[in-house]
Amino acid sequence: MINQMQKKVLILALRAGELMMKSGAEIYRVEDTITRICKACRIPFVEVFATPTGIFLSLDEGSEDSDMHTFIKRIKGSSIDLEKISRINHFSREFTSTDLSIDSGLTILKDISNIKPYPLLLRIFGAALVSSFFALIFQGSYKDFFCAFFIGACSYMLSVLLDKLETNLFIRGFCCCAAATFLALGLFSTGLGSNLSSVIIGSIMIFLPGVALTNAVRDTLAGDMLSGASKGIEAVIIAVSIASGVGVAIKFWTILGGAFQ
Amino acid sequence: MIWAFLFAFCSTVGFCILFHVPKKHIASASFVGACGWLTYTDFITSGSGSVLACFAGSCVVALISDLFSRTFKEAATIFIIPGILPLVPGANMYYTMLAILEGNVERTASVGTETILMAGSIAVALLVVSSVIKLMALLERKIMSSFRKEIS
Repeated sequence: MINQMQKKVLILALRAGELMMKSGAEIYRVEDTITRICKACRIPFVEVFATPTGIFLSLDEGSEDSDMHTFIKRIKGSSIDLEKISRINHFSREFTSTDLSIDSGLTILKDISNIKPYPLLLRIFGAALVSSFFALIFQGSYKDFFCAFFIGACSYMLSVLLDKLETNLFIRGFCCCAAATFLALGLFSTGLGSNLSSVIIGSIMIFLPGVALTNAVRDTLAGDMLSGASKGIEAVIIAVSIASGVGVAIKFWTILGGAFQ
Repeated sequence: MIWAFLFAFCSTVGFCILFHVPKKHIASASFVGACGWLTYTDFITSGSGSVLACFAGSCVVALISDLFSRTFKEAATIFIIPGILPLVPGANMYYTMLAILEGNVERTASVGTETILMAGSIAVALLVVSSVIKLMALLERKIMSSFRKEIS
């Protein structure tokens, strides 16, 4: 029989791990957090196996007649939210160093899971900032700055919309980059802007798989080959989707009779 | 140079907003990104290849991120993820695609290889820096503990 205390510890540790994994933390950080929380609740035998799509957790009290308890948590969908990672990091440090009760730990985790990302308008502005300043970095003029600002905002809005429709990551990258390229080509044909490549580069910068790439390396480094490989594949798929989106859009534009450079 | 720093800073602020970096760390995370980009452009203008420049930029990002993560007692990821993004070879990806569309196989191969190598160099730089830091921390602890033993 599983006792009440153990069950609560399990729920607490799994919730913390799930939240971290969904926010884009590295595998070793998730496993470390779960192990620490369980050890802080005086459970001697803890074994965690975490992958980007699921967490396996086994607990044993260590006495002769106790049973081994194993829980599996499937993780679906993920988005990057560094604030959540930071908060859970602080929480696990607090939980292990002070004698916080398990119930209050659960309420804190609930608060953390309810954290919303920055408001949509601000995020659109952020995407516009990224693309516009990248257009400037790649030798764009002030005209290109405004073009990229507009295109970045539009393509980010499209990506939010596609996220709501729960499309997969290939379709999302493909559609957003194709739309951004089409917009850029359209704006240029009307004579706005002077450096086409700077605008397109700026607007695809938002969708680049930088996070998947860095996390893949950090996971592989920490010895989590499975997760490292799967994140690496994710990065490759996103990169291919972006490149093909841009390519298809330019090809279509020339087929439809538009001028290209 | 000041302009390059400013542009990179502003675009990293954008990434910070997209990835929900905690408000009080947005400025420092953007500083990390701008420093990485500045190192990259510095290497490019001094005539070294883009792969080496990417490697150096990522090393700087990883080092400063580690420094900040220690001073602010935060996870290093919060600084590394926004900081590394300006260095991800988006421009080269676009040029590769252009070469494919032109049907220029040689250019596709050369630019494509460079893109892959740049992405790889970011990865390797992060790997090297974090391994060295871990090793140094381990050595420090060992030396300190043997030091304490000798005292007592």
